[in-house]
Amino acid sequence: MTRQEIEQEIKNIFSREFEIENPGMDDNLREKYEFDSIDAIELLLEIEKMLGFELTQEEKKQAMDIRTINQICDYIERIIQTRKTTG
Amino acid sequence: MERRVVITAASAITPIGHGKKQITENLLKGKSGIKPLREDELISRFIHSRVYGTVDYPIEYDFKRSHRKTMGPVAYYACQVAKEVLEQSGLTQDFIASGKLGVAFGSIHGSPTVQRDIYKIFFEAKDKASYQGIGAVDYLKSMVHTTAVNITKMFGITGRVISSGTACTTASQSIGFGYETIKYGLQDAMLCGGADEYDTITVAVFDNLLACSTAFNDEPQRTPRPFDKSRDGLVVGEGGGAVMLEEYEFARKRGANIIAEVIGFACNNNGGDLILPNLAGITATLRLGVENAKINPQDIDLISAHATATKMGDIIEAQAIGAIFGNHPYVTALKSYIGHTMAACGAIETIMSLYMMEDGFIAPTINLEEIDERCTIIKHVQKVLTHPVKTTAVQNFAFGGVNTILILRKFS
Repeated sequence: MTRQEIEQEIKNIFSREFEIENPGMDDNLREKYEFDSIDAIELLLEIEKMLGFELTQEEKKQAMDIRTINQICDYIERIIQTRKTTG
Repeated sequence: MERRVVITAASAITPIGHGKKQITENLLKGKSGIKPLREDELISRFIHSRVYGTVDYPIEYDFKRSHRKTMGPVAYYACQVAKEVLEQSGLTQDFIASGKLGVAFGSIHGSPTVQRDIYKIFFEAKDKASYQGIGAVDYLKSMVHTTAVNITKMFGITGRVISSGTACTTASQSIGFGYETIKYGLQDAMLCGGADEYDTITVAVFDNLLACSTAFNDEPQRTPRPFDKSRDGLVVGEGGGAVMLEEYEFARKRGANIIAEVIGFACNNNGGDLILPNLAGITATLRLGVENAKINPQDIDLISAHATATKMGDIIEAQAIGAIFGNHPYVTALKSYIGHTMAACGAIETIMSLYMMEDGFIAPTINLEEIDERCTIIKHVQKVLTHPVKTTAVQNFAFGGVNTILILRKFS
């Protein structure tokens, strides 16, 4: 997936699952949209569906400090890269 | 130090309407909210009792997603009546978030709808993907204090949380414990109440105990029949109710609309059987309530009886009322309109009593056509009375042998 495709899909998830329309790429999701740890867990399930594979518990824990859409996209790119590397 | 406690707002969602106007109109019309039991495609087909006190009208909720995500159906009822009570009260957001306002609110077992979905996965999960269907929020939606903490979250309330879960005395304990919390200076205001959602499991429990009404399945509105000779059991219902309690001086100084004063509360336990009504225990509750209110039994004008329309429960309650109050106060059984709304009943019946005190009428027990001769020792109400009511006792009794009485006085 390209960065642009990831961004679009994340925005679709935010609209569909969290009723957050067109968030700014660097908006603090917690401060601006009350996006909390419960939402983060649900987002990880959506990311698993998007990627088509399960995230490990360790990978999920790494996501808990994410605050912006840009950081989410970075995280997904990193996961994809790691899986490619490790096969 | 004992402080006076007043009620400054009230709202209810009930099988006969939402809010004072609808509820009062339907009490005056003698309208029943009992409808046919809805199919749940699980156990409803086995239930003998085919009736339910149903909220079947639309309610326009306006809750944002960040709040909705932790709410099962029971929390929708709870948060809606809480919202209406906060609006009515006129309390400022600064006070609401000050730590001086607490919440006492409960349900009999959280959200059974959500629990059912969890157990469906528990028993049927075949792989990890289906296991993950148990959502991060399912516990928050289904836990026993889900109503109370969804209210605190939605409105930013930071005071004490009391979440009674004592079946049919849940809301009366909420109001009673809220009253005591203010009376003894622990909080200045308490948002109190109870709620329960549509639930066939509760019906099944009472049905299997042979405690549910079955003889009027084809004529739902003719049951339940508290104190009537042909009563044949209770009808489970749904709904929610909330009241705002405030310390009197605080309410007076801010110019609040004071509806009534809570002048007494008592709660005890039968100390034995967890199901059967107990004459000694209930009689003691009523006596303790009168003592707590520092009044004479003859000061009570009206009793809102628990009166579920079970064979033994109504007789024992009538005997207890007769023993403490004689046949002086009028007695009405409000479950005849709405069924047994479980955790909500103490709040809804308190609120209906407030409406009657405010408007100077007494709603009769509907379906009371021929009084059971064993219940004739008390003064029943069989038609609408235009009558001033100054002091009302609201009685509720629960599985587990818990008994409560709240004593309310019209504010003047």
